[in-house]
Amino acid sequence: MTTTLNQSVSDVQNVTGSIDIASVSKSYGDTEVLSNVNLNIPAGNFLTLLGPSGCGKTTLLRLIAGFIEPSKGKIAIDGRDMNGVPTQKRPIGMVFQNLALFPHFSVAENVAYGLKLRKTPAAEMQQRVDRFIDLVGLSGMGDRRIAQLSGGQKQRVALARSLVLEPSILLLDEPLSALDMQLRKQLQIALKDIQQKLKTTFVFVTHDQEEATMISDTVVVMSNGHVQQVGAPQDIYASPETLFVSKFIGELNEIPARVTDTGPHLSIDTAAGQFTLPASAARGFAPRTGDAAVICLRPEQLKVLPTGANVAGQTMLDARVVSRLVIGPLTRVSLRVGETDMIAVMMTDADTAPLPSGSACKVSFNPDHARLFAPLSDDMASAFGEHA
Amino acid sequence: MNSGERVTFTKSLMLLPMLIILAMFFISVFTLFSSAFVDRGGFSLKYFQQIIDRPDYHVVFYRTVLSSITVAILAVLFSYPIALLLWRANKWRNLLLIVVLVPWLVSLVVRTYGWIVLLGPKGFINAFLGWLGVVDEPVKLMFNDTGIIIGLTHVLVPFAVISILSSLLSIEENLEEASRVLGASGFQTFRNIVLPLSLPGVFTALMVLYLASVGAIVTPLLLGGITEKFVGSQIYQEVMATYNMSKAAAWSICLLSLSFVSLVIIKLIERRALRGQE
Ligand SMILES: Nc1ncnc2c1ncn2[C@@H]1O[C@H](COP(=O)(O)OP(=O)(O)OP(=O)(O)O)[C@@H](O)[C@H]1O
Ligand SMILES: [Mg+2]
Repeated sequence: MTTTLNQSVSDVQNVTGSIDIASVSKSYGDTEVLSNVNLNIPAGNFLTLLGPSGCGKTTLLRLIAGFIEPSKGKIAIDGRDMNGVPTQKRPIGMVFQNLALFPHFSVAENVAYGLKLRKTPAAEMQQRVDRFIDLVGLSGMGDRRIAQLSGGQKQRVALARSLVLEPSILLLDEPLSALDMQLRKQLQIALKDIQQKLKTTFVFVTHDQEEATMISDTVVVMSNGHVQQVGAPQDIYASPETLFVSKFIGELNEIPARVTDTGPHLSIDTAAGQFTLPASAARGFAPRTGDAAVICLRPEQLKVLPTGANVAGQTMLDARVVSRLVIGPLTRVSLRVGETDMIAVMMTDADTAPLPSGSACKVSFNPDHARLFAPLSDDMASAFGEHA
Repeated sequence: MNSGERVTFTKSLMLLPMLIILAMFFISVFTLFSSAFVDRGGFSLKYFQQIIDRPDYHVVFYRTVLSSITVAILAVLFSYPIALLLWRANKWRNLLLIVVLVPWLVSLVVRTYGWIVLLGPKGFINAFLGWLGVVDEPVKLMFNDTGIIIGLTHVLVPFAVISILSSLLSIEENLEEASRVLGASGFQTFRNIVLPLSLPGVFTALMVLYLASVGAIVTPLLLGGITEKFVGSQIYQEVMATYNMSKAAAWSICLLSLSFVSLVIIKLIERRALRGQE
């Protein structure tokens, strides 16, 4: 696939395709589906919008594409205000969530449509169409009718149809959702390759946080029409600003807690015991005595130790081993800590003296790793209800 | 009695109305054929001969076919923009659809009299033209093909609107947006995407309208007068005025064959035009 790619992509270096979204809101009647969105997407960035269903991802793409106009705020592409610029005059391509292939055209005709509108000479058109049909792995299917394709094949036609025009911005609304794992991985790599070769700006929507962290330069976590956090995937994973973001990116252990003292250190009471955390553990809120809060720890930040163990500087909690799952180099240990189920992940070869299921143990973590967040508001919790 | 038998019994009861309808259909077709092909107890083509021998009857056929083609095309041309408008009017679609269909609440005869009031020698249009001084003598808008075509087109437009609208509504959402984002203007999108995908509805409309028009009775009778007859009004006359049932039956069979042949032709054209669309 990579060799085809090298031939298929022209050497023209594209430096256009920056998007500036300034204080954009979109309302339908009384409901605001996007609230005050600010995003500066540099040219050539692979940006992923990540968020639960209904949070406004498609709406944001439709605003950039110009199918709808913002109720408030401005969208500029390459510094040019897009207000009133019709879709066909914007330097964008889009892969739709429902694909929107033309049912009365064949695969090749679908891919050729944009080139035809641009009055590309027949020979060149034929060549480019063939190249991109090959690129998405549909060689020899150019004459098929759309109705004769599988869901995954349709998705690839939709990709080819947009890519063949080499737009400076490509909006992709869950373009890989119907593909099986292997093909999905293959196309993720192909997309990333194309994006880097052409320096195309990608605005990519996905539900799959693994996909998001794997292929993006920038991840935007959204919920309920708000941008929660913007950053490189590893930064968001390492320092999420809210409980919502921590839950959304990566696996998370949550311990419901109550703040009993805010002294120089935070004193915390949980069903698993009492301990203190540094004041810097609190994120995004100023805890007061009596506040409910949630302590968050990543699975790899937990250590499972025998009951007698005590490690200086680490917080130790009583726990019980529920089960153990070895997945190649990684071992996942399910634990019951107080009233909470938790997961600890470690390297399998570091797990020298595995404790049997059902045995009591200690779970330890570095208090500097713990994060303390305010509990989720009800509407955000409901977003996870759908997503769990 | 077990439940399986009971179900079969209920099912056969439900079949009864259909059987009655089928029986009535076959009885009427049988009656039709027996009165058309039988004379004095024997097989005869006498009544068909009577029709074939009369050149003025041929004119009735030509008129019916040509006027019906005109009506079908005219009505579709009128209906397409209306259907487009209704399709676009998301919120108001149902209300507008009612406006389009309101004429159906008024009886056909009343509506046709409405046209007489408008089109007649002393009708509004001629009065207005006369008042403007554009014409000295009344323009003949009635008791000729023009009147029949206007009347039938008016009656049939709602059918065409519904048929075209339904095929527009079945166009998958976002197809237009996809076309736009690939660089097409609004007009190019209409020509390349919307129009081809609405053709099935256009063909259904053409077919239904043509068949309805070929078989029309009331409108040709009222707007065509006694001289300008359609096959339908001719049959009506044979039944009601001359009581020649056998000849009426022969006329009916001719009409039936005409419709059938036309149907085949329209279907062939449709197949060609929609090649590649499934
Ligand atoms: N035309 C519209 N009229 C009214 N509400 C709308 C309209 N389009 C979208 N919405 C609402 O806006 C919100 C965001 O929709 P959007 O399609 O952007 O979600 P999404 O993040 O793409 O979700 P998904 O992941 O399920 O595709 C939803 O609550 C939806 O009901
Ligand atoms: Mg969506």
